[in-house]
Amino acid sequence: MSLVPPDLIFVILAAVTIIGSILALQAKELIYGAVALAISFIGVAGFFVFLDAPYLAMLQIAIYVGAIVVLILFTVMLVRRGSLDEMTDRAEGGEGTVGLWLAGLLAIGIAGVAALAGPNLPTDTQPASLPVSSLGPVLVTQYPVPLIILALLLSSALLGALILAKVDK
Amino acid sequence: MVALPTTPADILPFVIAIVTSHAFITIVFFPGFIHLMLITMFLTWYERKILARIQLRIGPLYAGGPGGILQPIADGVKLIFKEVMVPYKADKPLFLGIPLALVFLAALPFAVIPFGQNWVIANLDVGIVFVFAVTSLFPAMILLFAWASNSKYPFLGGLRSLFQQVAYEIPMWIATLSVVMLAGSLNLVDIVNAQAKLWFIIPAFLSCVVFFISIMAELERLPFDLPEAEPELVAGWYTESSGAIFMLLFLGLYMKLYLMSSLVTALFLGGWWGPAFLPQPVWFIIKTIFVATLIIIPRGVYPRIRVDMLIRIGWSRLLIIALVNLFVTIFLLSTGILASWGL
Amino acid sequence: MALDPWLAIIIWGVLIIFLTGPLLTLPIFWSRRRPDPFRDMPFESGQVPQGEARTRLVMQYYPYLLMFVVFDVVGMFLFAWGISFNAIPLSESIYVVLFVVLLGAPLGYALHLALHRENW
Repeated sequence: MSLVPPDLIFVILAAVTIIGSILALQAKELIYGAVALAISFIGVAGFFVFLDAPYLAMLQIAIYVGAIVVLILFTVMLVRRGSLDEMTDRAEGGEGTVGLWLAGLLAIGIAGVAALAGPNLPTDTQPASLPVSSLGPVLVTQYPVPLIILALLLSSALLGALILAKVDK
Repeated sequence: MVALPTTPADILPFVIAIVTSHAFITIVFFPGFIHLMLITMFLTWYERKILARIQLRIGPLYAGGPGGILQPIADGVKLIFKEVMVPYKADKPLFLGIPLALVFLAALPFAVIPFGQNWVIANLDVGIVFVFAVTSLFPAMILLFAWASNSKYPFLGGLRSLFQQVAYEIPMWIATLSVVMLAGSLNLVDIVNAQAKLWFIIPAFLSCVVFFISIMAELERLPFDLPEAEPELVAGWYTESSGAIFMLLFLGLYMKLYLMSSLVTALFLGGWWGPAFLPQPVWFIIKTIFVATLIIIPRGVYPRIRVDMLIRIGWSRLLIIALVNLFVTIFLLSTGILASWGL
Repeated sequence: MALDPWLAIIIWGVLIIFLTGPLLTLPIFWSRRRPDPFRDMPFESGQVPQGEARTRLVMQYYPYLLMFVVFDVVGMFLFAWGISFNAIPLSESIYVVLFVVLLGAPLGYALHLALHRENW
């Protein structure tokens, strides 16, 4: 990506992700919120591509946008219209200003710390780029135990969900 | 990289350098946009002709040229001028925006499909996973469009479509896993190059069968047609679409057909490898059209399968076959049988 | 001029949107639009639509969606392992095989439910 300065790419991706998630939290119509969430996830996938982890980006899109957003949409459509309107009942409305103040304080804090650290900041901003073929061997040679724990976690989650869905009949 | 123009006299050489660069030719002409549109339109005509012959009729005949070859253009022009009827209280932004998103998602994976040794738009290292990540977004689009139509037929049809497509995605992935293990790479160019001596359909025959059945379910073609069963649901999730919306959906569906057929060609049928008297991309297209014919023909021949049986078959039979095939491939690879075949 | 593949994909995507976008926006100028409450009613084969169109969601296929989410993750992990299958000794790959076999238990239970209950 030598044509476009990396800062511009970062700003665009960050804008897509953050605006998507803000819209997802704020949307009155829950379906629009789910769509905004999907866009935010795609922004995260863009970050993975930007950081030289394309496989992780594809994993993000296929799992989050492809499966979990579908699950969210399905769940939203399950809720009947009446209770939906009750849930989106707005509170006093001061959250926006409080949020902006907090974000401003955070920005000042980070900028202050960065300015004070000055010359001690790390200057090496290029992440090590690994070829995709190195993921597999590392996964099984260095992390076999987390792999098995992951299998147990997934199977227990799936069994639990199946049993719950059965009882709900 | 060419130098950006600094003076007005530099603009013309700059434009010429860009227009004749390999990247531009692949993106716009072949295997890019123009080729994609032409072949998609050809496929719509091709399907109607084949179905017509199976059903002992003739098919499109009058729209210009021999055998009505300009019929897709006539259809397109007609649909542009028709009125787009947005159903009462339907969700307008989603209703109008999702068909465009579907066309976008159906055309996007073509960037990584190689039509020849150098004829690929983007030589991506995670090629096949990119294709699968993009195709996994289709069920969500269909569900949104069905919901946005605010009508019972599309909604029920959309739900059925969603579950059908979701059920057949996993067997598709596991079948491709065998090919990926044989080739040792996710890059589609590498996968096709690994088939220089032996097409993967021979060692991975069961994978090919599973993959083929899965894509017929993904494309919602007979005998997996229930989401658009005409006697039952009118047209399933796209019942309420009309005019330009319908045209975009139609285009997206046939692009998906072309995409899946070219995936079968690239993964199992050796991509562009063939005797040298024809150029490589021509072989690729010939094989892809052959696969598309195999997908189209059952539409005129087989009866429909009921949707809950369909979903059950996807999860129980096909997934088990795909997993068994995975273990078989592991066995074959580890005991070195396949290595002796020249892989 | 070999483009970075992601840049090529982005250019391709933008090109598609710009060239097929007119298919959506041109009909605004060229087709007629007369919203008519009777004609725009949802199509129900001639009957007057009754009730809300978006209710009556079937719950029976919900477990299939859950299975899809889990096996989606499994599939992605398997892809990561599959490309280097030839490069690692079999004794290391056994962990991934164990991974798949461990997930066979809920799969078997789900299929048992699917085949022995008439609802899904």
